[in-house]
Amino acid sequence: MRLENWLYTIPLRIRSLLLRQRRDAELDEELRDHIERQAEENRSRGMGEEEARLAALRSFGNFVAVREQTHETWAWATIGRLRQDFRCALRSARRAPLFSAVAVLALALGIGLNTGVFTMLNAMFLRAPTFVDPASFVQLCPRYSGWFTGADQNSSFTTEDFDAIRSRSHTLDEVSAWRQYSALLEQGNKYITTLLMTCNYFHVLGIDRAEVGRFFASGECTGRTGAHVAVLSEPVWKNQFGADPRIVGKTIHINGVPVTVIGVAPSDAANYLLGGVFLPYTLEPQLNHAEDLLTSPDTPWLSLTGRLRPGFTRADARAELTAIMNQQDRVYVQRKTTAFDRKTSLVVTDGSEIESPAIHNLALGLMVLMLGPLALILLLACSNVATLFLSRTLARRGEIAIRLALGVSRSRLAGMLLMESLLTVCIGGALSLVLAYRVPLIIMNIMAADQANFVVLLRPDWRVLGYLAILMAAATVLSSLMPIRAAWKLDLLTALKGREGAATVRSRTTSGLIVTQIALGFVLVCAAVIFGRMPGLIKGMNPGFEIHQTLNVPIDVNTSGKNRAKAQVFYRDLEGKLLAIPGVQSVAYAGLQPFDQHPPTEIRLPRQTKGTGQPATVDDVSTRFFSLFGIRVLKGRAFLSSDVSSVGASQVVVVSEAFAKQFWPGGDPLGKAIVMPDDRHLTVVGVVPDTRSERFGVLDGPRLYTLRGPSDLGGNLYVGFLGSAKPLKTAVREAVKSLDPTQTIVPQTIWESLEDQAESMVAVARIVLAMASIALLMAVTGVYCVLSFAVNQRRREFGIKMVLGASRTVVFRSVLVGAMRNIAIGLMCGVALAEPAMLLFNRLLARSPLPLRPFDLTVFGISAVLLAAVSLIAMYLPASRAMRTDPMRVLRTD
Amino acid sequence: MSKPADLVQGTLDVLVLKILALQPLHGWALSQRLKQVSGEVLQVSDGSLYPALHKLEQQGWIKAEWKPTENNRRAKFYSLTRLGRRHLEQEAANWERISAAISGVLRLTEV
Repeated sequence: MRLENWLYTIPLRIRSLLLRQRRDAELDEELRDHIERQAEENRSRGMGEEEARLAALRSFGNFVAVREQTHETWAWATIGRLRQDFRCALRSARRAPLFSAVAVLALALGIGLNTGVFTMLNAMFLRAPTFVDPASFVQLCPRYSGWFTGADQNSSFTTEDFDAIRSRSHTLDEVSAWRQYSALLEQGNKYITTLLMTCNYFHVLGIDRAEVGRFFASGECTGRTGAHVAVLSEPVWKNQFGADPRIVGKTIHINGVPVTVIGVAPSDAANYLLGGVFLPYTLEPQLNHAEDLLTSPDTPWLSLTGRLRPGFTRADARAELTAIMNQQDRVYVQRKTTAFDRKTSLVVTDGSEIESPAIHNLALGLMVLMLGPLALILLLACSNVATLFLSRTLARRGEIAIRLALGVSRSRLAGMLLMESLLTVCIGGALSLVLAYRVPLIIMNIMAADQANFVVLLRPDWRVLGYLAILMAAATVLSSLMPIRAAWKLDLLTALKGREGAATVRSRTTSGLIVTQIALGFVLVCAAVIFGRMPGLIKGMNPGFEIHQTLNVPIDVNTSGKNRAKAQVFYRDLEGKLLAIPGVQSVAYAGLQPFDQHPPTEIRLPRQTKGTGQPATVDDVSTRFFSLFGIRVLKGRAFLSSDVSSVGASQVVVVSEAFAKQFWPGGDPLGKAIVMPDDRHLTVVGVVPDTRSERFGVLDGPRLYTLRGPSDLGGNLYVGFLGSAKPLKTAVREAVKSLDPTQTIVPQTIWESLEDQAESMVAVARIVLAMASIALLMAVTGVYCVLSFAVNQRRREFGIKMVLGASRTVVFRSVLVGAMRNIAIGLMCGVALAEPAMLLFNRLLARSPLPLRPFDLTVFGISAVLLAAVSLIAMYLPASRAMRTDPMRVLRTD
Repeated sequence: MSKPADLVQGTLDVLVLKILALQPLHGWALSQRLKQVSGEVLQVSDGSLYPALHKLEQQGWIKAEWKPTENNRRAKFYSLTRLGRRHLEQEAANWERISAAISGVLRLTEV
């Protein structure tokens, strides 16, 4: 249409949109005027009054149809139609307020939980960690090929790599490096996340203004010893220092190192600040006694982020930086400090976690695991709403039949029903926004109450809104599908006669609904049972060794090269001091930490060649290990002090029962020889029972204990003691400090670390439990609604049965048996759904000590019983209503 | 609900425009006129005129105006706009061309 046409028609278009009612009235007047004039004309030709009118009507054609066709020619006819549908939906929603409220609430809950968690995941995984010009933000992810293990390895950068990139790159405007580190703040006994970083770190993230004080000046991060300055995050400032207004200039201690606070980073950026305390990365050697990463030319330790120079893309940066890293690789290999033939490839991402190759799979898995159950809750909500709509559609079948008879097309009818769902979903969606903002905060408060430096900042972006839109569209379609189908298949004649039998809604539909709800509910209840049992399992298990009277003393000593002699003296003195503490029984070392997964080693028998051996976990322990950990000896003996040879490694080994069974099934392991990967031949002198030290409550696989050499250093130091742990912990701490004041340690009994683990599980369990309760509630109300609806539908059938002589018990039982069959099918479907989810979960947690069995009958059993019991209660009411059917009344209504 | 299915698409529009070009008319008068001039050849139910009229109005070719008529009544009178007049000229020219072409072809086949 040309511009001139528009000029003519714009007023008309606006009128047809805004003054629709007046236009409607005018059209009516126009058409009636026509008919009247025709009637007059007919009369003037000598027809009678009535005859003239009828003839005029006949020659005019279908009045309603003409009006509709004329409507269609008006501009924005679709909008008008939608508006009609909308008004219609609004009317029918108002007519059943309780019903609408229930539907809206169910959807608000379902959508709100989903959007809320997605908002959180979006902030954590999907977004670039900056609000300022995210397009130019880059994160560099190096990957080594040809690593010792042969597999590719995601890695980080060495200090030299960082310096090379910083000085040579043209595509990057600015590069910042950082490393997360757990350190002790002041005399506290909890570790706090600190971030060692270059001084431009905040600037690269787009945070330029400190809340209090200032950020680092560029000179504070150069040289081999950085300035002793620190920036606090706002949560740490508030929680640990009471928001002290004079914090700037104060001296605090990180791992015992004194640093001066120069500023506080604002918390609205804290979401992306990966720590609570920020320090120059040049302080690393002073914080970490064990390793000097800063000056080590070979150890990768830094993560790199940066900003693209205007005009360059991430691909440009990748090409250039790969070239720089290849030069670095050559330098590395030429230096020949390790046997590693380093080859680096590089990925340049937008900084979001999901794009980082190292955690892509984990992040994706976590998102699936968190959003999956929530999607199930939404599905449950949708099936509830679908049930409600379905029952309402059928209650309104008389009205629908009349609409159809008057010439409304079935597609138009479907549109009307869709609009009703859309209206409900939209109101629910709008309400859900309230939840969407609360949920992440609630979750974070439960999960990380003590770790207050993690605050998720919520800024809904297109991803969140898109997700919300997808959810709402899906909910609309899902909840209107069945009512539309019912309306579509409505038989006009029987419906108009009001003689519709029980067959309107096939029992297949109601069965399907019950099965779906039970199955979905089952998956979520399973999750709740798994997590609900976890803390109890952790605390209640018997690992097979002493955990209450065993204290872990974490120390941090540089044992490499020139520091070795000093470290040796330190350890010797420490052992003496520890043994002098009253209550201390013994001191021992172990190579492995309990409740951690360790890669197995290949162990061979003397005649086996390399590669044909079997895997076993190897723990390097000192002589007192078995007595300290309370592991008794089954056969042979434990290590003796005389086994420790002063020259080289010892020749004896103690094996676990599982090891003995695997290598010498049925035979006596004592005196047999085994071969270590480095071709050392060792003789078995003792057999000890299997412990549960890798996974909670799960027996370890084959285990081998080798004897620690007399001059070996490092490893985990344990103290066995009698009496109360509390005074002893202080004494141990003092003993360590008296030898090396820079050591700031928190000794913990193994039991205490277990309790910590259990506590963190309690937080997760609480969230899962809340989710599952919502799901259970929805499933149960759903089952109740479906069954009441089905019973209502079958009233006539029950009446006839009773008239034919069926007793009330028979009717009651028939309803209940049918429903129980559906529950059984639903439970089976639930197992089929839960099993793959559990497998996935298991794979994600492969490296954690949580005991998860792929097909856990206990979990399935408890969940099934719980769900069946609750849904039977929900079924009782409709079934008893069926029983009370009055045959006379029901049959008389026909 | 009969639609002027026999008519070439758009013919009714042209006829309406042509009649309205002569003088503004209301719906009923227009339908009478249509029957008259087409010699009852066009079998169109009276009602189906209105969707066509409203469509023309939406396109800006005719405009409507309520005017009083005899016996204190009022009726909606349609008249041609400037745009409509131009459109009519184009359509008429088109029609001439097409009908000339068609009759030319028909005459050829008869020979």
